[in-house]
Amino acid sequence: MVISLNERMDHFMNRINSGEKIEADDWMPDDYREALIRLISMHGISEIMGALPEKEWVPKAPSIYRKLAIMAKVQDEMGHGQLLLRVAEDLMEPLGRNRDDIMKDLFSGKLKFHNVFHMKAPTWGDAGVIAWLVDGAAIISQTMMLGTSYGPYGRALKRICAEEVFHAQHGESIIMALAEGTKEQRTLLQDSINRWWSSLLMFFGPRTNAETGHSNQDQNMRYKLRTKTNEQLRQEFLTKYVPRVWALGLTIPDSTLKFDEETSEWQYQQPDWEEFKSIVTGHGPKSKERLALRMRSYEMNSWVREALGTSEVSNVAR
Amino acid sequence: MSHKDSLFYEVYEVFSKKTDTSSLQHQFSLLAPNQELAFVMAKENFFRREQVADIWVVKRDHIKRMSQEEKEAMKHLEKNYRETKGYGYLKKKWRQYEQEQLTEKDIMGGGEG
Repeated sequence: MVISLNERMDHFMNRINSGEKIEADDWMPDDYREALIRLISMHGISEIMGALPEKEWVPKAPSIYRKLAIMAKVQDEMGHGQLLLRVAEDLMEPLGRNRDDIMKDLFSGKLKFHNVFHMKAPTWGDAGVIAWLVDGAAIISQTMMLGTSYGPYGRALKRICAEEVFHAQHGESIIMALAEGTKEQRTLLQDSINRWWSSLLMFFGPRTNAETGHSNQDQNMRYKLRTKTNEQLRQEFLTKYVPRVWALGLTIPDSTLKFDEETSEWQYQQPDWEEFKSIVTGHGPKSKERLALRMRSYEMNSWVREALGTSEVSNVAR
Repeated sequence: MSHKDSLFYEVYEVFSKKTDTSSLQHQFSLLAPNQELAFVMAKENFFRREQVADIWVVKRDHIKRMSQEEKEAMKHLEKNYRETKGYGYLKKKWRQYEQEQLTEKDIMGGGEG
């Protein structure tokens, strides 16, 4: 039976609109596959690159309990990367691409990672802000995608979100200790919040195409990969965290920030979207250093892949 | 991608049981060069916290999975005659005879429950 492309497309959209989940081997339009590969490989690589600023704090954590907790978190992030790369790889397989291509795309700058992981984490306050607010922001965007039309991504996110709850509470615990600590500790924490504020606003992406000239929001909504806009997510983040930051007696470096009762929306100073573009294209303060670290470890471990991979060849040859 | 890389990257599916009495459940997939490493990675990737009574790793190539067509063909099968819901009308019938229909529990009765 010959089925036309239009019929396939109609059937596919009917499945999506009736809430069915698409699986890796199902028929899907090329732009759906491409959108998923772009979204999930970026997410997966961001988990792996996101472990790097926190890993810097493993040897310097202030107590053995904190050291165990931040080590567990770093390990979780790498695990999340593994899960997500598997999802991306299954989508890339029909195109003849695999994990090696994902890594090469990262090294060449073709594959980007989240703006926040290009930034410095110079103090223990940053370790706290990353776990509390960066992970807090990530939880908001990840739980929004739990109902995604692509089954394997939804299942990966379910596992990931469960662990993120621990991350956020680990962050809260660090923040609480610093906020209730000495004057120096409070200053350290306030400096971290000041340092991370614009990065946190940028995390959700621009409101519309106008800010950066490019956005995949509309297509991703149509395919039910996501259900909320960047701005809706940012507003949720502000509602969730701004009152808590204020309650701890800390400030946010934006004098225009306020909740507008009439529009039921937060008003805030837009971050510099030109700077955002520059950061995510590899020109952030730590972009080059962290990419070099990832590249070095990929090269240093290549002998393991070769040794284990070729043993099978020699077995076959024998 | 070199030939060597493709040999390293084999897909394994991971299944596990939470307790001795629970059913086997699919967890996720992973890449590993052989069964032993697949097992080590399964523990590292999926059971850092959770309680687990048993873990299985299976090379994906060894699993026969359903295609989209096969799944869709299964969906439309009407099997009321095999299920209790195909016999719901009996409840009303028994009422006419001033009797209650035996529930699933009554029929299964005699056990521990």
